[in-house]
Amino acid sequence: MAMMKWVLFIPELYYVLVAAVFFTLSLHRKSEPRRLYMWAVILSGVGVLVAVLSARLEGMIFFDAYRVDLYSQVFKLLLALGTFWVVLTCSELEGIDSRQHAEFYLFTFVCTLGMMMLVSSVELLTIYISVELSSYCLYLLVAMRRKADEYAETGIKYFMIGATASGFMVFGISYLFGITHTTYVADLIKVLPGMMTEPAAVVGLVLALSGFFFKQALFPFHIWAPDVYQGAANQVTAYIATASKMAAAAIVIRFVGFSGGESAVFIKLLIILSILSMTFGNLVAIIQKDIKRLLAYSSIAHAGYMMIGILSMTQRGFASAIYYALAYLIMNFSCFMVILKIADDGHNLKIKELAGLHKRSPLLAMTLMLGLFGLAGIPPTVGFTGKFLVFAAALEKGYLALVIIGMINATISLYYYLIVIKAAYLLEPVNPYPPVRVDKWTRSLAIFLVIAMVYVGIFPDQFVALTEAAARSLLI
Amino acid sequence: MTSMEMAHFPILTAILMSTVVGLIVIMFIPDGRNKLIKQVSLGFSGIGLIMCLWLYHAYNVQKGGLQFVERTLWVKSLGIYWFLGVDGINLPMLLLTAVVLFTGVLTMWELENRVKEFFAFMFLLVAGVYGVFMSMDLFWIFVWYDVSLFPMYPLIAIWGGTRKEYGGMKLTLYLLAGSVLILPGIIYLWAQGGAHTFDLFELARGGFTPQVQNIAFLMLYLGFGVLAGVWPFHTWSPVGHVAAPTAVSMIHAGVLMKLGAYGILRLGMTLCPEGLVYWSDLMALLATVGIVYGAFVGLAQTDLKYVIGYSSVSHMGIVGLGLSTMTVNGINGAVFQMFAHGVMTALFFSAVGYIYDKTHTKMIPELGGLSKTMPIASAFFIIAAFAGIGVPCMASFWAELLVFISAVQTYPVRGILAVLGLVVSALFMLRVVMNTFYGEKNEQWAHIPDVPMSLAAPRIILVGVIIFFGLFPRMILDVIQSAVIPFVSSL
Repeated sequence: MAMMKWVLFIPELYYVLVAAVFFTLSLHRKSEPRRLYMWAVILSGVGVLVAVLSARLEGMIFFDAYRVDLYSQVFKLLLALGTFWVVLTCSELEGIDSRQHAEFYLFTFVCTLGMMMLVSSVELLTIYISVELSSYCLYLLVAMRRKADEYAETGIKYFMIGATASGFMVFGISYLFGITHTTYVADLIKVLPGMMTEPAAVVGLVLALSGFFFKQALFPFHIWAPDVYQGAANQVTAYIATASKMAAAAIVIRFVGFSGGESAVFIKLLIILSILSMTFGNLVAIIQKDIKRLLAYSSIAHAGYMMIGILSMTQRGFASAIYYALAYLIMNFSCFMVILKIADDGHNLKIKELAGLHKRSPLLAMTLMLGLFGLAGIPPTVGFTGKFLVFAAALEKGYLALVIIGMINATISLYYYLIVIKAAYLLEPVNPYPPVRVDKWTRSLAIFLVIAMVYVGIFPDQFVALTEAAARSLLI
Repeated sequence: MTSMEMAHFPILTAILMSTVVGLIVIMFIPDGRNKLIKQVSLGFSGIGLIMCLWLYHAYNVQKGGLQFVERTLWVKSLGIYWFLGVDGINLPMLLLTAVVLFTGVLTMWELENRVKEFFAFMFLLVAGVYGVFMSMDLFWIFVWYDVSLFPMYPLIAIWGGTRKEYGGMKLTLYLLAGSVLILPGIIYLWAQGGAHTFDLFELARGGFTPQVQNIAFLMLYLGFGVLAGVWPFHTWSPVGHVAAPTAVSMIHAGVLMKLGAYGILRLGMTLCPEGLVYWSDLMALLATVGIVYGAFVGLAQTDLKYVIGYSSVSHMGIVGLGLSTMTVNGINGAVFQMFAHGVMTALFFSAVGYIYDKTHTKMIPELGGLSKTMPIASAFFIIAAFAGIGVPCMASFWAELLVFISAVQTYPVRGILAVLGLVVSALFMLRVVMNTFYGEKNEQWAHIPDVPMSLAAPRIILVGVIIFFGLFPRMILDVIQSAVIPFVSSL
């Protein structure tokens, strides 16, 4: 029986093991970057397999503080997938000193481990510990960039803001504990909806949530995002923008679900945050020149779109947010993959450096175009279907004005995505850039992403069914 | 929908797939094989045209209603169906699309710059157009609608002419701004209808309260109205037409603008008949302003493409006016006008395209006397101009006649104003014809050869279509009527 319970913990145990492997490797004074890369690819690839195999597990462990169900397993799969993809693009890890490559992989895997624990945690302190585990790894990863002096501000800023957000979160959790006398989510869900008329409950929930909004980069907890996206090594940025966003979405969905939709004040607050996040992110993104900064602001806007689904507080709403998270992972990673390959010496890419991409590498240009159209919500990509589901959930609850504002924002966002597409397809480079090296891994990954973006968008049935099943297990 | 009907060959999917497969095949042809790419494009557009012609022939007018239905559940939890069908309204539109695509490919036969991408984007665009016209499910209508819009940006910005980047960006943003209202409108109706189906007819059967209809109709009308060139949302249209390359102008003015009017008819008027009654006054007003305004602004233009662009605004106003009358004649005329205007504008742009390719100008004062140096090329433009004025024996004559008869009956003042607007548009068309093709011969263009046979073919097809339906209007009106009569009686 005791053995049976450990089976539920296998994905996490696997990543502990992988982290241990890289810890050992990091003790070597001289480790060959190429060999490290191969190991990381193989191990993270197996990680995806482990996540797939354990997708159907269900049960509770660790004195009911840890819950394994379809909801958590779906997100673990997304996390494993995101990590695998990011590791796959690390063949030229020029943004980080070659002596630190082993540490880079070590912290990446530990961070994935922390986020996997986060999506399964159903007890407030466990949640807090998981958040901190993943956050500390990210602080270190961000600060690891080569030429650390230039980007020192980034690491410090991220750490300071992160620590503040954690402070808020613990404070909020203490409120929740104070009024409900429990730290178990299962009990909170029963008690809290009845208490949502109490200001203390709303304040506690909002403060606790602000810690997660920070990770999700929702307005006004977004200020770190542009600087960190710009200042971190490209691969680290890709990791923060994809895998880490999945964990943030998972925990925000779970936490918002606590209120049970009982409090009008709470929902109004979320609506306002969602609108501000979309509008602010999109408007500021228009003037960006650095593509990583542009994607940072776009991620702020996307946190807002996802919030539309979450604040509907229905099963369909949560399911649409999960689908949106999946869509966002694929689209955003597609864009980052292209950036990583073009800036293979690890510098920060300007939009105008994309000029002539359609000649330098037609495949990458197409991947980028589809990814950006997806982010803008243009069919037949997965991004459109995600927005459609989110808006459907909101309109079912009658939030017509909110949906129209969302659509207006989608149109604004199209403008700056088109500018990037224009650079890739229209502009001719002033001085010829070197051709882009596309190895066979990258090529197959790009083809896979293109097909996935279209397939998941056009044939959403089974994915919608899966996310709805996941959302159901969330509400039980 | 009996099992008998379901069992037939999925001809509609096949038409749609002729573009999607064409797109994929084109993408796998190696770069530089320009000739092959053009031949493949022509082949696939020809297959589509043949299937559309067969469909037109096989459609049972006596029986009417929705035929060649394909319906399968697509997304269970939302009630999205893969639901295709044709009736008297979308059948002419499918034919129009096929004709314009086929002639458009022929018109671009001399393209040399980035050929592969051009035809790939063009096929993607047309896949969207076909999809909108044949889908009967709100989700898919919207998906195909957007698919037909976004390729416009690269098509204009890469291969376009005057101020192409500005024109492309303006057009794309305007049209997608239209979807800002369409998408919420669609989902709003879905939610109000019980959130279980996107099937157009199932929703229409369920019915909505007048208040819901008023809101939803306005959203759909304004949203689709942007694409239909409804005044005052038309400003993207002349700029976009001017910037676009020839075949794209043809498809865009010929087919894409019809998507907007079709959307108003198919979605707005079918789902919200009471909303239509409530807003019909506004519709008629905006349409009349469009007709008159387009004609007067057209009078002042010196650029051939701008002239056509504003005449399109004016002609699309006639479609809007016909729809707003809510009578059999009015809607018949509106649908006929959509078809006739589509073919006519395609001919217009095709004719101007040749002149521009050879002279590198489309400014009227710089041309002049062209009928002496290239009589055939001039003939095409002049025929199109006559069609635009509504000369008898041209398809648009019947369409405009039907619309104006019912418009004067329903809205006397606005109807008469619209007829006067048409007179002005006749004036400006004739003025353009006079200044461009007659009068002093400009020696600068004397050496230019006339249209060779190979390039004349697409224009001849278009002229043939205009005159054929001008002489035999019942060939199309019977089809349209079979759908419009039951539709109007259900209002």
